[in-house]
Amino acid sequence: MRLTVNKLAKAYGVLWALRDLDLELSPGEFVALLGPNGAGKTTLLRMLAGLSTPTTGRIEFDGVRLSLGKPETRAQIGLLAPADHLYENLTVRENLRFFTSLYNRDSGNGVLDAAMEEVNLAHRAGEYVANLSSGMKCRLSIAKWRMLQPGLLLLDEPYGVLDGQGVNLLEKFLQEHCAKGHIVIMASHHVSRALRLCTRALILHQGRLTFNEAKQSPWRSFDKAFGDFLPHGES
Amino acid sequence: MKLLNQAGLLLWKDLLLEIRRRDSLLTMFFFGVLLLFVFHFSFDPSPEKVAEMAPALLWLAFLFTGTLGLAQLFQAERENHCLDALLLAPLDRGSLFLAKTCFNLILMVLVELVVIPLFWILFNLHSWNLLPRLFLVTLLGTVGFCVLGTIMSAITLRARARELLLPLVLFPLMIPVILATIRCMENVVRVGEFGDALPWLRLLLSFDVIFLTLGVLIFDWVVDV
Repeated sequence: MRLTVNKLAKAYGVLWALRDLDLELSPGEFVALLGPNGAGKTTLLRMLAGLSTPTTGRIEFDGVRLSLGKPETRAQIGLLAPADHLYENLTVRENLRFFTSLYNRDSGNGVLDAAMEEVNLAHRAGEYVANLSSGMKCRLSIAKWRMLQPGLLLLDEPYGVLDGQGVNLLEKFLQEHCAKGHIVIMASHHVSRALRLCTRALILHQGRLTFNEAKQSPWRSFDKAFGDFLPHGES
Repeated sequence: MKLLNQAGLLLWKDLLLEIRRRDSLLTMFFFGVLLLFVFHFSFDPSPEKVAEMAPALLWLAFLFTGTLGLAQLFQAERENHCLDALLLAPLDRGSLFLAKTCFNLILMVLVELVVIPLFWILFNLHSWNLLPRLFLVTLLGTVGFCVLGTIMSAITLRARARELLLPLVLFPLMIPVILATIRCMENVVRVGEFGDALPWLRLLLSFDVIFLTLGVLIFDWVVDV
């Protein structure tokens, strides 16, 4: 899957959350989306997911415009929002079965068991999602997208709720996902973690894309751009 | 077929959630019964007068209980941003409309199955043989209510005071359904058959078919608003 974003902009009333964003991503890229609060990261992710309509500009997946996208196009996009997008009064197994069936994927017990085992949730399979901690819900989301294998996976601040083992699970999954030729875009404030995994970094600042480069070592241009908007740095 | 399969899956999920939470059905049921008792204690008309008033009173109860159900229709999707998860999924959004309409229809029919006989008991009516025909008309009216209600419920989904806005938007549009249903029911109560009310029955059927088709076709746009 190739992602092309052209002159993308989003306005909320008179406030421009995102302006003139151009982007081209190739299969297998892992993008770290960085920027301070209110920079437009979530707005960009929601537009890429097709959940928010751009004010101007266009998004294309393999040449197909997203706003005119068919269900087949939507099947290629995943949004991992930690602890979200799960039904609280369905069990762990029922949530997985529901979403895999919705995506027309194999939802047999064996496949579900293996997916839950992978994220250490097999022993909670029959429990309602409402009874899980935020970290466990995030693990369940990882299991869900692991089964659905979207061509473009978007992540919005996934690290906040995960423990060390959860972080390892997530990073292993993301690296495997990219290795299959899928694109991953991860918005995060955990800059060092995001930089360790990424093949490209984007920095958004006040709705504008101020930095867009493939990873280098050393990466002086990134250090400079990063220092410009966060003078005290972040880890 | 894919549309129906997806609708079936979504309906299964809604029914499972309702069986576990029971909030919509119980609220609608108790509110419907409460309204009947309010009607019963508010006035004491003769049996003939009650028979004349029965269709309007029953539909008043159904409208209010149905609106309660509609206000809760997308509650599961509002929690945890599950609506986003559904919009992101590769489903035909017409299936979401069908599932939500069927779900609300099931709840309303369950309430009506209790409320109509209870009305007959409370007001001491003896014409029990009319109930099957009344149920049939009520079912057609309820389909119209659920179809239009689901569309309006989705349109007002992101509105701030949606519980207040929904009846304001829905009730004026429901006038043809309410009018047709009440006229049909009046005829059944008066002469025991549809008779002169057949044109109203045809109007009701047409309304159901037109808005059901329209809902499937436009729901993609409705949930994107």
